[in-house]
Amino acid sequence: MSRRPALDAGVAPGEIVLEHASRAFSVKADRGRTLKEMLIGRTRAGGPAPVQALRDVSLRIAPGETVGMVGRNGAGKSSTLRVLSGIVPLNAGRVACGGQVVAQLELGAGFGRDFSGRENIFLNGALHGLVREQIEERLDAIIEFSELGDFIDAPVATYSSGMFLRLGFSIAAHLDADVLLIDEVLAVGDEAFQRKCEARIASQIAAGATLVLVSHDAALIERTCERVIVLDGGEKVFDGPVREGMPFYHRLMGTAEGADAVAPPPVPGEPPGERV
Amino acid sequence: MAYRYLFEQLVRRELRQKYKGSALGVAWYLINPLVLMGAYYLMFGLIFKLDDIEHYPLFLMVGLVVWIFFSQSVLSAAPSLLEQGALVRKASFPRVAIPGAVVSVQLVTFLVILALVAIVTIAVRGTLDVALLLLPLILACLYAFTLGFALAVSILHAYFRDVAPILSAALLPWFFVSPIFFQIDSITRNDAYRHLLEWGNPIAPFITAIRDVIYGGVVPQAGVLAYVAAAAVVMLLGGKWLFDRMQDELAVVV
Repeated sequence: MSRRPALDAGVAPGEIVLEHASRAFSVKADRGRTLKEMLIGRTRAGGPAPVQALRDVSLRIAPGETVGMVGRNGAGKSSTLRVLSGIVPLNAGRVACGGQVVAQLELGAGFGRDFSGRENIFLNGALHGLVREQIEERLDAIIEFSELGDFIDAPVATYSSGMFLRLGFSIAAHLDADVLLIDEVLAVGDEAFQRKCEARIASQIAAGATLVLVSHDAALIERTCERVIVLDGGEKVFDGPVREGMPFYHRLMGTAEGADAVAPPPVPGEPPGERV
Repeated sequence: MAYRYLFEQLVRRELRQKYKGSALGVAWYLINPLVLMGAYYLMFGLIFKLDDIEHYPLFLMVGLVVWIFFSQSVLSAAPSLLEQGALVRKASFPRVAIPGAVVSVQLVTFLVILALVAIVTIAVRGTLDVALLLLPLILACLYAFTLGFALAVSILHAYFRDVAPILSAALLPWFFVSPIFFQIDSITRNDAYRHLLEWGNPIAPFITAIRDVIYGGVVPQAGVLAYVAAAAVVMLLGGKWLFDRMQDELAVVV
């Protein structure tokens, strides 16, 4: 989760722009380089080639839009969110994300396990750029939303994983977001709590926030999003209304099953909506 | 300055996490340097007696406190970005706050121990002098120098994992060439060596200046003060520059 000032002043609050965005990641087991490698040459010979997570992706999302991002594992969905949230820079191209960006990439990522739930609200709020007064204003609402009750003063280390995630979501849900970036974190707690999370996101959208949601849950995407972007092998292969995008996505996944695992499979038939 | 609060929170976190679950908790921040000081006193004050220095234990302590602050700060800052990898990978906030918090926690311990040592030294030696007014300024320079150094080693270590081991190996010989348990004048008559020990080691002028005002009750030489100020500015700006240049890929490498 993260929140920070606009990546680029050139866009309106809530607007998202990616222009010819490319990003590759090295997939070596040991990601740090040693000094020896630096002295004798930049990298070890051999090993897998870098993975191209994003390949010349361009997209523009207007303030208030709700966009689902789908694709198989490794298609570049999470990388796109990490780029949009400013955690990972691009190798080429331009990214701009206007206004307050709240990224929920991993709930409770910044939690100190020996701190109580209440203390973690302050710690996490601070990570999002809030000051003490702003967190105090929201404290009661966050605790109530999390349904943690008296556990809020127990160390987070004693929480069940569901409680942990509920607290993480509750904090992120009470930040004033212009852009919400959510990565597969809505499977939080029991079904009742999930509905509550969806309702909370819906109310943030109603208040004008832009949503980019990464999920493998097709029903969730259909419920929440008007527009869908399908990524495959780091490229945008579909961008259009959700009612056309989801069938396209299902066909893509269907063909993918028998296809060669290395080469991206051919895109079946001309889909409706904007082909890219 | 919204991120000042984040900084405060990270300092709290650092204080709590380092010695979590230990019976003495935060007290370890004081116990460690005190034990170290006791050990060095045993060695240089009692076993290898250096009698030519007046109130030798106090002379030794003032220098040691400064050294311990510097070495503990950079040693704990070096792996700090990796230790907080979960934060770095998943949230975007000014990364400089992480090593900054580590050094600031060390600063608090340092000031507590320094105050104790200074009070005893001044009482025993009667060195209360207007020169003491320079102390806050010199300490600010020491903090800036140490912070700059910590920024550099922390960001370098995130990319090159040899940096922390190299640093911890280098600190021991560095300690022995620093004027902590000896006076530079009394160990060499050779001007070239003397200058090298005085000016070639960037931490030496800090030790000299702080010792001058606390142990000596005199204003440090203008040259020493100028060196201290220049080293602080250069190291802080240099460390920050390096950190800013290299921090983009942090979420990928840690």
